[in-house]
Amino acid sequence: MLATIVFAACRPASFEDMGVQRNFLQSVNGTWKLTKATQVDEDATKKGFPYQQLDITNLFPYTSFVLTLNVSSNAPTTFLAVPGTSPKIVKLNSGNWTVDNLNYPKNIYLSNGASTDTITLGGYPVGASNTLKLIKEKRDATTGKLLISYSYEFAKQ
Amino acid sequence: MKQLFYLLIFAFLGFGALAQNPSFSPSSFTAEDEVTITIDVTGTGMAGVADAYLWIFSNPGLSGGADGITNGSWTNSSEAAKLTPAGPNKFTYKFTGTTMFGQTPAQLKSFGFLLKKKDGSAQTQDYKPYFFDPLIFVPSLARVFPAKVDVDDVVSVNFDQRYAVSVNDQRMTPATFTITMYDDLNNAVGAAVTLPLRKTDVTIWSGSFIPNVSFTPAAGRKLMKFTYRFNGTMLDINGLPTTVSSADTEVTFTSMK
Repeated sequence: MLATIVFAACRPASFEDMGVQRNFLQSVNGTWKLTKATQVDEDATKKGFPYQQLDITNLFPYTSFVLTLNVSSNAPTTFLAVPGTSPKIVKLNSGNWTVDNLNYPKNIYLSNGASTDTITLGGYPVGASNTLKLIKEKRDATTGKLLISYSYEFAKQ
Repeated sequence: MKQLFYLLIFAFLGFGALAQNPSFSPSSFTAEDEVTITIDVTGTGMAGVADAYLWIFSNPGLSGGADGITNGSWTNSSEAAKLTPAGPNKFTYKFTGTTMFGQTPAQLKSFGFLLKKKDGSAQTQDYKPYFFDPLIFVPSLARVFPAKVDVDDVVSVNFDQRYAVSVNDQRMTPATFTITMYDDLNNAVGAAVTLPLRKTDVTIWSGSFIPNVSFTPAAGRKLMKFTYRFNGTMLDINGLPTTVSSADTEVTFTSMK
């Protein structure tokens, strides 16, 4: 009896197939229309003050902003930002984009000539989520302290 | 040739005016943060001196003020108050608010200072007030969201009637807010702009704008600060509506990247 239990315990466990690795970069490929904009007072949040964030989607015509991120051969290529009547979200309207990690991108670097801009991926549009979430951080120019962030949610067009 | 000479002189003066004096590093700080003051005494009673001493005081114009612990006496400044030379007519000094004034962050709202000779025979004008960043949230009638903003941010001004102390502010039904913008030479940028408010809570009215969308500075200038006030109506003694405005509140932009 004991020998059977010990023998059975030594059998290799069978794990479910994890499936194909998700391609996060490919998931952001395409044209995205802004659906929600939120402004966060990061300093107030850090200090636990009231009034930490504000939904600014309808304060200005943010929803007219459209962003296209092109991917080719599993590598980022060009981007196009069409603000419409929206306030400026990124500094550049077109150019090339790169990421910090092709498999698990976190930062998106937009560039056009010598001009660059950085935005952060706040959420991949994979699995149950079909929302692309981008975050733009703003820091004190002297100290680098994070003061404000803007969170933008996009729906695939 | 003479015109070119004057142009160069004005350009030189213009560049000089761009620098903030005094300047602080970091640009924003709480009473518990160490901050370095850099000050140029050119054109003051201290121009040309080799040694300068700091005379510093908390909460100028407010209750609960205190002298800096390094001050010493007016005719014999303490050596701990001596500034570090940083070039011709330029000095720096490093301090932490709570240590300098022996007060808590809750007690410290602002500070002012001047530079003087050790024996008090020469001095600059007062430089004041400079505000500490709060470590605790202090509710107020007028509030900006976010608390620190740059020229390209969405700026929301808020009128919270719970904290009104004047009769007009307590009785006003706010409808609009007026912004006056200033550049780095303290000149008004364009005409004041009045925009509508929306009611966002039982006692709160809010309005939003983007500074560099609503205001364009002159060539070579940049937006530096703005003042805002709330406008509305209240009933006079005859029961007739009359227009009233709150006091102006000033906000200086924080440079962000």
